[in-house]
Amino acid sequence: MKLRIAIIGCGKIADQHVQAAHRIGNCEIVAVCDREKLMAEQLAERFKISGVFGDAEEMLKQFSPDVVHITTPPLGHFPLAKLCLEHGSNVYLEKPFTVTAAEAQELVALAEQKNLRLTAGHNYQFTLEMLEMRRLVASGFLGGAAVHLESHWAYDLSDPTYVSPILGSKTHWVRQLPGQLFHNLISHSTARLAEFLDDDVMVSAQAHQSVRMKNLGGQEVQDELRVLLRDGKGTTAFLCFSTQIKPGLNSFRICGPKNSLLVENGSGSLLLNRAGSHKSYLTYFLPPLKAARQHLRNARVNIVDFLRGRLHQDSGMKELIEQFYVSIRQKNAPPIPYREIVLTARIMDEIFAQIKPEDSAT
Amino acid sequence: MSVESIVTPADKILITGSNGFIGTRALENLLARGFFNLRCFVRPSSKLEKLQKILAQFPAAKNVEIVAGDLLSREDCRRAAKDVAVIVHLAAGFDKSFAGAFMNSALATRNLLDAFLELGKPRRFVNVSSFAVYSNFKMERHALLDENCPLETEPQARNDAYGFGKLKQEQLVRDYGAQRGLKWVILRPGMVYGPGKSDLSGRIGINTFGFFIHLGGRNEMPMTFVDNCADAIVLAALKPGVDGEIFNVVDDERWTSKEFLAARKETKNFFSVWLPYPLMKFGCGLWENFSKKRHGQLPPVFNRRRCAAEWGGNTFSNEKLHKLLGWSPKIKTVDAMKLFLAQYK
Repeated sequence: MKLRIAIIGCGKIADQHVQAAHRIGNCEIVAVCDREKLMAEQLAERFKISGVFGDAEEMLKQFSPDVVHITTPPLGHFPLAKLCLEHGSNVYLEKPFTVTAAEAQELVALAEQKNLRLTAGHNYQFTLEMLEMRRLVASGFLGGAAVHLESHWAYDLSDPTYVSPILGSKTHWVRQLPGQLFHNLISHSTARLAEFLDDDVMVSAQAHQSVRMKNLGGQEVQDELRVLLRDGKGTTAFLCFSTQIKPGLNSFRICGPKNSLLVENGSGSLLLNRAGSHKSYLTYFLPPLKAARQHLRNARVNIVDFLRGRLHQDSGMKELIEQFYVSIRQKNAPPIPYREIVLTARIMDEIFAQIKPEDSAT
Repeated sequence: MSVESIVTPADKILITGSNGFIGTRALENLLARGFFNLRCFVRPSSKLEKLQKILAQFPAAKNVEIVAGDLLSREDCRRAAKDVAVIVHLAAGFDKSFAGAFMNSALATRNLLDAFLELGKPRRFVNVSSFAVYSNFKMERHALLDENCPLETEPQARNDAYGFGKLKQEQLVRDYGAQRGLKWVILRPGMVYGPGKSDLSGRIGINTFGFFIHLGGRNEMPMTFVDNCADAIVLAALKPGVDGEIFNVVDDERWTSKEFLAARKETKNFFSVWLPYPLMKFGCGLWENFSKKRHGQLPPVFNRRRCAAEWGGNTFSNEKLHKLLGWSPKIKTVDAMKLFLAQYK
């Protein structure tokens, strides 16, 4: 069954969606839509897409796409996803899934009621190294349930194309979100914690503004976030979002009662930390050598994956979209459980409630 | 600096991008010509020291307005264009993505044009474009590239988001001319250099792999010193009888890439490797084919179209600029290079 795809929101991220869909095959992008029709036209022209719309409802009525990718700014996610579901389309919703957890729950309920599928654009969960991490966890490598998780995510402020418009205008859509800059940037790092936490999560969050952000004229925009979490089973987690950590840190650590895993997303590496002890000075010699062997293995795996065409700069997005389309065709569960999507939104709600950016304007 | 003009000093002129590399010089040029009824449009996050310094040199410039805003906001465009007779549109948002480049170029320009026609007193819209709109893909190497040369038809294949944005921006301006009577002039500056811009042009070479690869060889550079370029832009804003004209902006004397690089290295030497064009062309072809075969696994940053445009080499002419605008470069290349190179010392 060849899926008919539509895209709502023709900004920067839409290109990645189109390219990923082209690489998957057995699907066709039939229409694109943007409230600013010129944006839809430029995307359609570059990728030779026939349907061009400035109104989402009109597009849904005319094309009845099987799947709609919503890649608009987040404030439009909920109403647009609801509209698509009501018109019978499955929905891939870019991150952050919705502005609030209540909206996320409502969308999930509607999708279930309509027997349609939803997924969130948590594509970093589906990179090759994350897939391997998940496989190892499922095989019992940790030696039991996760004891502790750590998620680090760094964002480089030196790229002015993203930050300047946000700082330049209080009405910029990022500034309209309850969690402002964090709201748009912590979904990935939160989602990978939500995967291994149960629903009974306690959150303790702190945020501040870096000197660099202040010097950039960031006004009340905070850019440093630290969060401690603990779930009902006693699994703890730490989330760090930073614009200051250099070199950029993008990693996920999952520690079990026996062994641990560290995913370095920046280099596409997975490091296995096995329990074990060495006698005397060997404890200083052997573990670094073992770590070196693992780094070499990661380099070899990445080179082979590149040559075989598996390793792609947005492997995660292609994998997630592909799994999502399979779930639609086969009427299986979608690749990201709804529980995780809603929990991610709930954790984010709680973080933003605690840090209250407006209180720190001084 | 008096020149026959379509506007008087009492008419308001808007300069977008007035705090930028060329914009500050265009502002200075207008002030020097006695135009003080100016409105400078700047980004809200801009640091305005450079602009303020220029204004401070002209006591009569105390009424120059500075308007901070975003051209993607129609409301900001209305504030900018109200009562304006001429717009010198220099604002250029750089974005690596095609959508971003389109937004910053075409969409921003559309908003500005709508506001200009709605609330301005429109006499002329000066659209500052770029050589990036041209394609020499089907031209002989070193053939003359002038205003009549073909425009790029495959910016996506060339992986040139900036060029795509500029092409769409130009198209929009021409469409507004044809459909809504907008009077316009388009300028396409070549390689603009001067103090305040320290990076070497990609036409000379690239730093992509951690060291400098010289790719321009003995190609003539379409160089124009920033003050000369600004002078051409200002003339295009003022001169009667040039509506609907397109001008390439290059100086009279143009050095080769090799000469330019050698001069740059005299201030501070650095390691570089020269790669002959046929080798680069071969490499770009391989890269492009691999990228296509692997569905963009390697982004097509190197491709035959870009290779031809940046390193294939052309000769250039500013005949039209001399003839219709009466422009000639005020700063000779030898002096311009001294000013340019002084920033590295």
